[in-house]
Amino acid sequence: MSSTRRESPFLTVFIVAGVALYGFYRVHHVLTPFLLAAAFAYTINPLATYFEARGLRRLPLIVLGYLMALALGMSLYTGFKSLAVAEAELLQARAPGYMKTLQSLASVQQDRFVQKLPLPPHIARHAVETALGGLFEMLQMLPSHLLALLPLLLHMMLVPFIGFFFLIDGPSGINSMIQACPSRFVEQALHLLSEIDTALGNYLRGIVIVAIAIALASFVGLVILDVDNAALIAVLSGVSSFVPYLGAVIGALVGGAMAFYQFGTLAAGLKVVALFVGIRVADEVLLQPVIAKHSVHLHPMVFLLALILAGEIFGFMGLLFAIPAACILKALISVSWSWYSSERGLVPRAAAGTAIPYT
Amino acid sequence: MGAASSIKDWFVDPQFAGKKKFLRSLDIFKDLRDRELGQIVSALHSRSYHEGEVIFEEGDIGRALFILKSGAVDLTRAGAQGAAAPLYSLKAGEFFGEMALLESLPRTATATATEKSQLLLLHRSKLESLLSTEPRIGVTIMSHLARLLSARLRRMNACAAPAAPNQ
Repeated sequence: MSSTRRESPFLTVFIVAGVALYGFYRVHHVLTPFLLAAAFAYTINPLATYFEARGLRRLPLIVLGYLMALALGMSLYTGFKSLAVAEAELLQARAPGYMKTLQSLASVQQDRFVQKLPLPPHIARHAVETALGGLFEMLQMLPSHLLALLPLLLHMMLVPFIGFFFLIDGPSGINSMIQACPSRFVEQALHLLSEIDTALGNYLRGIVIVAIAIALASFVGLVILDVDNAALIAVLSGVSSFVPYLGAVIGALVGGAMAFYQFGTLAAGLKVVALFVGIRVADEVLLQPVIAKHSVHLHPMVFLLALILAGEIFGFMGLLFAIPAACILKALISVSWSWYSSERGLVPRAAAGTAIPYT
Repeated sequence: MGAASSIKDWFVDPQFAGKKKFLRSLDIFKDLRDRELGQIVSALHSRSYHEGEVIFEEGDIGRALFILKSGAVDLTRAGAQGAAAPLYSLKAGEFFGEMALLESLPRTATATATEKSQLLLLHRSKLESLLSTEPRIGVTIMSHLARLLSARLRRMNACAAPAAPNQ
């Protein structure tokens, strides 16, 4: 054994990861489209690899894929344009009505609520009015909040463009990293990349499948229940399901409120809530076991902590990337432990039965 | 005909067949089918080493199989006095470090590139992934490794066995 024993660089890796995370925090607004593009490219890269393993070149494959996606997008746009326009017009026409209904409902409920509160009437009325005032102020601010999402939409347009270059580079980017890595740590670097790939790849691809499934199931369910703006609510639910658990919650809230207003009965709203509870249960029972089979299993507490921390530090984008970041961190810890335990001889090295002579 | 041929040339990677041919020439992959060799090509990482660069050291925990695509690599082991004793000189088309695919044990030799060399690396986790998604590939490689181990053990037994008494 060599006298100059090599130590695994897990401490270095943790320090580098910490510095990278801090650097990312400082410039995360600038890096957001690149991060989204990297996630986009990473999610669809296996498709390119599948054809590449059959002897096809990457560049024409990607160009062809983009052209096909463009054609599909245009067909979908043409096919659903009338539906989208109809939904937008319907929403625009009914939005003032929704607000009026909400306000009248609130004033009726306000009196009943004030009577039930165990406070002197003038104090109770003041408290309820303050709470409801805040709520309506928030609703009135909704358009400006939506406008604030425009930069995110701009990012969405940049994502396929930047993702194109990530996709073209593909494995050559990884090979460049391996080439740049000191030769003594090449095997460890490959180990780490492989663990991250296993954990992250399955999670990201899984969440895309979940988003599409939730959007489709919501649309079908809402159409069956004859709820207005079914497509809009389905898209909202699908997109928000990129943040774990949010899709079904948003769908139930918005869809339930829409059905309540449209049909004027609580039962109609509850039917929509039941639909989204059903979708969430189906996701948990049918999709999650398949998706989570090969990805990193996070404890529910870690899951929640990651979401809260990332949401607090990075805002909405933090919610999107909280779980992938937690997956990477867990892979890092797992690989570090594997290196440490192998080097310290903490894992049993010999197979049983070695004493039996070779026959 | 000419247009179809140029479209095909644009789409088909001309180096891919060469990579598969190279892999097929290795004992460890020779029983794999064409499509399976394509998957091995995708699973391999390439790295070049300059002359004198140490690829791994004796005592390091092994995690990958190395295939020498071009160049030359020397395997050495530290002797009693600490001097490196030569074990074997590898040439292009040979592979080493294959036991790392079976277990994470310390390397028993040091590998050093003796000239500018191109190596292909198959990491153990890639093989494990292939074992679950493409069992035939994994089983073929594992079966070859088992035969290789058995052959080495027989050779060692033959060397260690006392000479048979004369009749």
